[in-house]
Amino acid sequence: MTDEAVGDGVGELPLREIDDRLVLSVPADESAIELTHELVARLWMRHTHVPDDVRMRYEMGLIEILANVVEHAFAADGSGAADGSGGSGAVGGRRVLVTLAVNPTAAVARLEDNGVPADLDLSQVAMPDEDSESGRGLAMALAALTELTFSRDAGRNTWDLRCDLS
Amino acid sequence: MTQFHVETHDGVGVVRPEGRLNMVAARQLKATLADLVEAGTHRIVVDLEATTFIDSSGLGALIGGVKSTRQQGGDLRIARPTEAVVSVLDLTNLSKILRPRDDVAGAFDD
Repeated sequence: MTDEAVGDGVGELPLREIDDRLVLSVPADESAIELTHELVARLWMRHTHVPDDVRMRYEMGLIEILANVVEHAFAADGSGAADGSGGSGAVGGRRVLVTLAVNPTAAVARLEDNGVPADLDLSQVAMPDEDSESGRGLAMALAALTELTFSRDAGRNTWDLRCDLS
Repeated sequence: MTQFHVETHDGVGVVRPEGRLNMVAARQLKATLADLVEAGTHRIVVDLEATTFIDSSGLGALIGGVKSTRQQGGDLRIARPTEAVVSVLDLTNLSKILRPRDDVAGAFDD
């Protein structure tokens, strides 16, 4: 997408205008995945009207994108591109900011990380053959979500996810 | 965290992941399946009754198990998937290679 963000980088999703959004800032490692599952569970406790199939698709898309972010963070360390802040072991100070919310029409999420630039074209993503053991993540996220966009700006990768309620 | 129960009955290995089958748990599942195959158990049922979530890495571990067991003349079959798992199988067009069976005991009846 073309990033329409202005000012504080809100973009087309007014996430930061939603009062009861849930926010998590954690090292971009595997522990972020379990913590995000827990955050999603808390989101549904607050928004009990969200239908089951929307919950499933939202969590599926979110976890696939987060797994992608975590893998890129590890890849950055392997190439010696850590930013020197160290401290958190394998991920070299790379963090991910997870923001979740439900607005009147959709469950939305934003993932922001300071990992290596993700060079990808979502329009080229396709579901691999059935006997493939990997490469399915982004295709699953695209299939599960109503909209998925990615942008790279000022050293941050930003993923915006939307799953319409109906 | 995800737990795995592993049993072997009459030469059939039964693996039961409890909880979420995500990136972290998928690595454990992959190792569990590899250990079974290496130990000579080439027919494996993965009982998904208590698997509340599966992601692409969990699917990858299952597909890997299908391939490694078939190479030995066996197979890996899944049983009793939850609604969440069924919807992922449908979404990924994997319902054929991972056709869900209704119960664990009868998973190798056909």
